[in-house]
Amino acid sequence: MAEVSSTEASGTEACGTESESREALLVHSFVRLADTLADDFDVVEFLHGLSVDSVRILGAHTAGVMLADQRGSLRLIASSEERTQTLDLFEIQGDKGPCADAFGSGRTVQASADEGRIRWPEFAPVASQAGFRVVCAVPLQVHRHVIGALNLFRGTDERFSDSDLEIAQAMAQIATIALIQERALRQQTLLAEQLERALRSRIVIEQAKGMLAEYLKVSVDDAFQLLRVYARSHNRKLTAVATGVVDREIRSSEFC
Amino acid sequence: MLDGGRSALHRRARIVAAIVGSGATAGIGALLNRLCRLAVDEMTLSGCTVVLMSQTVQMGTFGSVEGGAGPRAATLAELQFALGEGPCIQACASSMPVLVPDLAVEAAGRWPMFAPAAVEAGIRAEFSLPLSVGPRGIGTFDLCRDEPGMLTGEQLADAFTAADIACDAVLSLPETFGNADLARLLDGTGADRLVVHQATGMIAAQLDENVSNALARLRAAGFETGRSIYDIARDVVARRVRFDG
Repeated sequence: MAEVSSTEASGTEACGTESESREALLVHSFVRLADTLADDFDVVEFLHGLSVDSVRILGAHTAGVMLADQRGSLRLIASSEERTQTLDLFEIQGDKGPCADAFGSGRTVQASADEGRIRWPEFAPVASQAGFRVVCAVPLQVHRHVIGALNLFRGTDERFSDSDLEIAQAMAQIATIALIQERALRQQTLLAEQLERALRSRIVIEQAKGMLAEYLKVSVDDAFQLLRVYARSHNRKLTAVATGVVDREIRSSEFC
Repeated sequence: MLDGGRSALHRRARIVAAIVGSGATAGIGALLNRLCRLAVDEMTLSGCTVVLMSQTVQMGTFGSVEGGAGPRAATLAELQFALGEGPCIQACASSMPVLVPDLAVEAAGRWPMFAPAAVEAGIRAEFSLPLSVGPRGIGTFDLCRDEPGMLTGEQLADAFTAADIACDAVLSLPETFGNADLARLLDGTGADRLVVHQATGMIAAQLDENVSNALARLRAAGFETGRSIYDIARDVVARRVRFDG
């Protein structure tokens, strides 16, 4: 990290300003990532934040977080944009793609569209078709525990630089520490419970999106925004609001 | 253990294949029995049950016990309902797994009445996995052991997969069904995609049903039409298919 900032400091004034704003964004992001002591911590909201920050700070076009599901798969928990088409792209590569490679090896994976076609013949054409030229996956890990991966997509041919990747790894590591309580790393019991909780939160959010989409005649993409706006304006957690919708404790008319 | 979705599908297919019976037809009870017995044989357990509970869990009420392998496994569930506390009640109510590698530790913890009683009955570990498709469980897949100790990663993956299968079976299998159809009835291809859960929510709204029954309808449609539930779910979300018509 020290090396990265000294390189940037020696740049032009314009670069200096840019790196300052990046540093400011980073500090802001780190503080937020580390602030998970609230007892009603919402994992989907938290990882949505990580995805959005990654896009801003690392110059990715889209980012998403996949976590291990205890059954042998990686599952999408959050992404910077919740369009159905984008969700599909993440999910497809959960089977065989950069995230699975990063998860399996515990190492950061980066590939251009051409390299991707050889490594992941099913995933790469779909990514290209969606307009992505560079794909990257950073393992979410602390010590030797890998619990998932942060996935980054770029629509240009420019690869993520070494300093981008260093920052991505630091963000991923802090997010992992925040996500998995420290004692869960020593207890497989807690780790399994916490990862399953994340997965189930996401499922309930999808069900709530579907219900709102049907009741309010909006798209599922718009339904997600309605859930977020409602959660924010009522000072409630996203998963709690989604649960309220699925249980029909919150009426769909309240979202209008 | 974790190398992408294919291994998860293989795991599911392997377990489904192992519980397909030899007769032409099967019933849900026999199927769940075989699932529990398979778990006991493969995971060095002392017992395994599928516990079904009413949607609104009321302490002390109990739906039914199906497929108890080993009499003490059934006792364990009864004990929890009698005392109104314990891992399976908590797992069902919260729709989250409750893994307890050593019940003796919990005597001073989450279940001060149940834990000592379970240890007294000779059970030291319990793993309760919820059967659920949303925020509320319909029951649990319950594993127990005489000795304290956590399941291995492989065993845990098998247990979660078996719980998924039990949930799908309880929700969507007809009263009787052909053994030959079982693999297709319980096929998990594409079932974990997010669009399936979106469609489940839409169908629940269309039918004014809960999400469990909505998913059951989606799975039934898949079986009737021979299409994957992923494909049907995409049609539902794209508003090409409705369930209330």
